[in-house]
Amino acid sequence: MAETGRLTHAAPAAPALSPVTLLRIAIIVTVLVGWELLSRSGWLYRDVVPSWIAIGHALFDLLTSGEYYFNLAVTAGEIGAALAIGGLSGMAIGILLGANRFLSKAFEHFLYYLGPTPKIIFFPIMIMWFGVGPGSKIALGTLSCFFPVALSAAAGMRQIDKVIIKVGKSFRASTMQMVWKIYLPAMRHPIINGVRLGLGVALIGTLLAETKLSNKGIGFLIIQAYSIFDMPRMYAMLIVLFVLAIGANALVGRLGGLHTIRR
Amino acid sequence: MSADASARRSDPILVADDIYVRFDTPEGGVVAVDHMSFDVNPGEFVSVIGPSGCGKSTLFNVIGGLLTSHQGIVSVAGETISGPHQSIGMVFQEESTFPWRTVIDNVAFPLELTGMPKQKRVDRARHFIKLVGLDGFESRYPGELSGGMRQRVSLARTLASEPKILLMDEPFAALDEQTRLLLGDKVLQIQQQLKQTTLLITHNITEAVQMSDRILVMTYRPGKMKRIVNIDLPRPRTSEIVGSEAFGRYVAQIWADLREEASRGMRDQEDHVLHHEAPAS
Amino acid sequence: MSAPARHTALRAYLPPAFGLAVLVGFFVAVEIMIQGGILNRFIVPPPSEIIGSFGRVIVEEHIFSRFMLTLGECLSAGVMLTVFGVAGGVLMHRFKLLQQACETWVAAMASAPIVLMYPLFMVIFGRSSLTIVMIGFIAALPPVILKTIEGLSGTRKVLINVGKSFNLTRSQQFWKILFPAALPTIFVGIRLGLIFALINIVGVEFLINYGGLGQLINDLAERYDLAGTYAAICFVILVSVLFFMTLEKVERWLRPAD
Repeated sequence: MAETGRLTHAAPAAPALSPVTLLRIAIIVTVLVGWELLSRSGWLYRDVVPSWIAIGHALFDLLTSGEYYFNLAVTAGEIGAALAIGGLSGMAIGILLGANRFLSKAFEHFLYYLGPTPKIIFFPIMIMWFGVGPGSKIALGTLSCFFPVALSAAAGMRQIDKVIIKVGKSFRASTMQMVWKIYLPAMRHPIINGVRLGLGVALIGTLLAETKLSNKGIGFLIIQAYSIFDMPRMYAMLIVLFVLAIGANALVGRLGGLHTIRR
Repeated sequence: MSADASARRSDPILVADDIYVRFDTPEGGVVAVDHMSFDVNPGEFVSVIGPSGCGKSTLFNVIGGLLTSHQGIVSVAGETISGPHQSIGMVFQEESTFPWRTVIDNVAFPLELTGMPKQKRVDRARHFIKLVGLDGFESRYPGELSGGMRQRVSLARTLASEPKILLMDEPFAALDEQTRLLLGDKVLQIQQQLKQTTLLITHNITEAVQMSDRILVMTYRPGKMKRIVNIDLPRPRTSEIVGSEAFGRYVAQIWADLREEASRGMRDQEDHVLHHEAPAS
Repeated sequence: MSAPARHTALRAYLPPAFGLAVLVGFFVAVEIMIQGGILNRFIVPPPSEIIGSFGRVIVEEHIFSRFMLTLGECLSAGVMLTVFGVAGGVLMHRFKLLQQACETWVAAMASAPIVLMYPLFMVIFGRSSLTIVMIGFIAALPPVILKTIEGLSGTRKVLINVGKSFNLTRSQQFWKILFPAALPTIFVGIRLGLIFALINIVGVEFLINYGGLGQLINDLAERYDLAGTYAAICFVILVSVLFFMTLEKVERWLRPAD
């Protein structure tokens, strides 16, 4: 994007605040002030809409407590494991299905239709198989992220421009060279996209499982705050969680978004 | 191979002997290439011309070694090929640059595969980028270039592997007429400069006459050799030759041959549409 | 001519048949391993037992009324999604400044784990169908808005120019050109939204142990009814797949040929 911008015309010296920024600020200020007024008005149950001061306090307490970081590390570890297992197996299966028409026709519709089904309902089974500890959370995250990664990898494999494969062959690339220099770079966008989707659902699967049954992790902390009705803390945790999730998603997207301009 | 230098000079570098390719389709077999034989001498520019659907691209794939289900023999400098051969460099009709590599990395690709040290391959790639007139664009990505520039990147990439034979399949088909003429000039200039043996597959008569020493005219299904036309126009040539009278005569002569084949192809396609369901959109 | 035709027909049916055979083979293998004592039947019940408990689960657990409850929740969320999602998209497309300011926010929300807000919703709306519907609605809203914007701004320039050449008013331009051109993409958004809604609704039913199909699984699992749990999970997966297939069919049916 930046490159095309530079090619067409140099950006004019931007005013200090563009209308878009002003509107954004206006929206944010309106929401914050409205929230605070609602909170002070006493129209709703106490603590359903806690004051920003209370949320800010809770946020500060949260971010300065070692306990929170311990639980964050637990959850991050579970998600990382789920992404590694589900992502790698999804990629392997996806590449296999993408490369082989027969296998694709035999099995891909299973994946296609099983992909968008609720995965959390498998949690009771996962508990029986992998126990009540992190194992069952990793399993659920793995199950969640396998499908989008596999489906994207299979589609990505098929989308590779045939002529690019021919180019590699005409220069007599070895099988390893074909994989590393042709296939993988040519399908980098679908793979990154699959990982992005996979990360999102692995995160949801793992955290939901934690809220259902666990004794550590962010999901556990959220449900604990719910059970003692500590609303500011719950808001604080949701805010941090959303920031982290959106940030991680954007990061993965940024990694794969390079040089997307084409034709 | 003990013959003297002048005799070796006239030995053909590429020999296609009795090539025959047949495809099975749901409606039965189609003979794409029907017993074609020809050869190309070192430094020669030969074009294969024929109507759409005559099996030109099949021939291209056979000579390039990408299609091996053929009968007959293709040999390069006396060596029978059984797959892509290092002496043959292919330029494809479709857009074939790697979008994830910069221009220089695209051009250095074949050198990278052979394990050439980085500095050396960068220098070599730079040379060929200059040759196709893209110096200054080394670190751009293909997505930032025009179609004609991308096709020049593909050409430079193939030339960088220093093939004995440059094999091109309608490399300018996707470009507009003016770009096509100018690029034709460029190819002609490079070919004359490198004395590059070239086999060009095309359906464009002007392009073929402008560049070739010899033109092989193919028939529509089955793809047979219809005629061989020697082009006795002076070299070095440029696109200005298009205006000359001799040029016009060659074009008219080849068009007379092709016209019959092309209209046969057109009727065949009309029949196909009439007797089968509408082509998928 | 008929031999190759038969040949291609066979070739078309062979792979799905193979896929099905592998699936059946897998279940038979599991059955054998359980009967042979290789797998623990108290962790994985034999497939035959699961199939046997289908009837029991359907009759004794009022699966039909549960199904209707979940479906009703989905459709309520779906109606809200369509109204607010499409309206939001249209509004943002109409006021470019709003779109520039908010589209990235909506896109960011699409990647946020909104369903994790369910404990919060429980505080606000209580342990009720309202919580479930609201979660289904909010969690599935971003894709509907984004797809609506995508459809409207993806209208081909030439169609807009055609409208201009006929001197259409602003609202004519919208109703006669923009909206019909965007409809296929909007349908895709609504279909995605409904799928997200179903996933989240069943999930939250399971998590808060309330309502329809999701709650059934939780219930059976808490009673250690192993075969029943598996059967109920199979049933929910089946329902989701059918829901998904139906949406696809409806979308294709509604979508004008293009």
